[in-house]
Amino acid sequence: MPSRRDLLRCAVVGVAVATALGAGAVAWSSTLLGEYSVMTMGGSAHGSSGGHAGHGGESGGAAAASGTVASSSEVSVTSLTADPDRAPDVRVELVARQEPIDVPGGRRVDGYTLNGTSPGPEIRARQGELVEVTLVNESVAAGATLHWHGIDVPNAADGVAGITQDAVPVGGRHVYRFVAQDAGTYWYHSHQVSHEQVLRGLLGAIVIDPAVPSTDAADLDVTALLHVYGGQHTLNGRVADERVTADPGSTVRVRVINSDQGTAAVWSTAPYRVVATDGDDVSEPTDVDGQRLLIPAGGRADVAVRAPADGSAVRLHVGGARSIVIGGPEASDPPAARQPSETIDLFAYGSPAPLGFDPSSPDRSYEYVIARRFGIIDGRPGNFWTINGRMFPDVPMFEVREGEVVVMHLRNDSGDVHPMHLHGHHVVVLSRDGVAASGSPWIVDSLDVHPGERYDIAFVADNPGIWSDHCHTLPHAVDGLVAHVMYEGVTSPFTINGDAGNQPE
Amino acid sequence: MRKLYIGLAWTVAGAVVVQAAAIAFAFGGMLNLVSEGGVVDKALLESFQAAGVGEIGFLIHGVVGGVLIPLIALALLVVSFFVRVRGTTTWAAIVFGLVALQVTLGFSITDMPYLGLIHGANALAVVATASFSAFRVRRAREADPADTSVTPSEGASSDAVSA
Repeated sequence: MPSRRDLLRCAVVGVAVATALGAGAVAWSSTLLGEYSVMTMGGSAHGSSGGHAGHGGESGGAAAASGTVASSSEVSVTSLTADPDRAPDVRVELVARQEPIDVPGGRRVDGYTLNGTSPGPEIRARQGELVEVTLVNESVAAGATLHWHGIDVPNAADGVAGITQDAVPVGGRHVYRFVAQDAGTYWYHSHQVSHEQVLRGLLGAIVIDPAVPSTDAADLDVTALLHVYGGQHTLNGRVADERVTADPGSTVRVRVINSDQGTAAVWSTAPYRVVATDGDDVSEPTDVDGQRLLIPAGGRADVAVRAPADGSAVRLHVGGARSIVIGGPEASDPPAARQPSETIDLFAYGSPAPLGFDPSSPDRSYEYVIARRFGIIDGRPGNFWTINGRMFPDVPMFEVREGEVVVMHLRNDSGDVHPMHLHGHHVVVLSRDGVAASGSPWIVDSLDVHPGERYDIAFVADNPGIWSDHCHTLPHAVDGLVAHVMYEGVTSPFTINGDAGNQPE
Repeated sequence: MRKLYIGLAWTVAGAVVVQAAAIAFAFGGMLNLVSEGGVVDKALLESFQAAGVGEIGFLIHGVVGGVLIPLIALALLVVSFFVRVRGTTTWAAIVFGLVALQVTLGFSITDMPYLGLIHGANALAVVATASFSAFRVRRAREADPADTSVTPSEGASSDAVSA
């Protein structure tokens, strides 16, 4: 027979355990997101309608400025479109299917296709043309969208499920319209369950040619889209290297697109030039010899290679596994070159040129500090990424007003590299670890921030809307590494986790 | 409770053995992939679809090391408060502390590879302290026959009685 003291002790332990379990259950359920609007995140001035009021995630000096815009001047993301009356110059229909992909030269893998292939067809337009793409979802069960990675499209065409549109359900269609303002190398991909749909092939290349061909244009222009399908490294969808026949002495522009989740290396058996990063031309590029170029996940780089004058060939390694052989038709394939351990620093590459705006006294200044800690997001325990010390959905909302110059201080206090991608804008890298950039303006939309690094970047808020600003190692975005830039007075009627099943990451 | 404590301590030690086996298998598989012409790069690692022989080894190492062992070590620490043997909580706390250090090291290796040297050595420390924790409570249990007659579910009250 237990003594009274034992009974008391059991009771105390029982109450303590019950209280702990109860408190745990309450804490756990409070992390459940349910249906939410991105506008309610981060203590936004417009966030009074939702469940996450009062988070106060802002941290920048100028961040306290709030959007006290009258409701009459509010605009919906759906109204931020290209001129609806203008006829399209380039019209494309892309039919999305969930089906196995026959990877040429490799194994068949389950995935997604566009018009029956993955990568989908390359879209080509000329600068200034209006591009109209119709996405038809034939069988992608979770729904799909198309995001125009790197193109500063109007917000309604950004293709982020739950922010700028509802995911297109099976049997549905959605029309994307935008003017191809900036020439360069870009790509498109789904932004619905993107960590899964991009990984499994719902993507393709889009190249915008300059309105007026530049005088130093390459003689040949080829695209090199990198993607890993089921562990197989592919180049333009094939598990094979490519050969480009070029006249001796001619220049070939290779547009490398990194559609994978991690950094890709590019190097060559002969000197090469980096002529553009993320679609933006480098000012006065010089020869790179004995160094590799690193392209962040989601990033692009245009590399110019000269076919040797003696008719032999050059091997350009694109990504760790594939390469392109460039040379005369009779030339034998040069052997693979060892990957250089030294990396070309785009921070000090090329010659300085005017930026077109003055970032020295910005209108807004924000911190974007990445770290990691254990916690629970949406009822799911894990080791999650944090932004400014806060975990999703408590992350900051970067509020801006049209026309402002915005500076962001990126810092990576975690142990992993993060390719940070801002939608709808290009950013210029001002400094790294306190040292000012010294080369050609380094203008990107996807920037690798390595552990311990600090970057100051700037952009002009010239494209109203609500724009994701996230890590393009897409599973990291699922684990909380996503914030948003929101223009004052812009609203979104769409929600995440609602009936439309929108799950952008 | 003592039986449970001993069981948990041995499980921590055993799980570390699983960790060593899993990571060796994983790297074996990776080398095998490379030797057959495969390429391991960031794109492959982040795609979580390497399809190599040893990939499951990395998964096991991550789940057992990142989730299972920390939870068991925490349970060991909680249970230690109900075991009336001197120093039990201290040893459980040491095990838990070493496990916490091990997880932190594991997540930091990508950034600072030299931490791998400590990660490997610290694994042995976890095995040693967890095994020692189990041994010393078993010794106390053998020296205290009153405890051997009860089932673990009655452990809490029997500890009180034996105390």
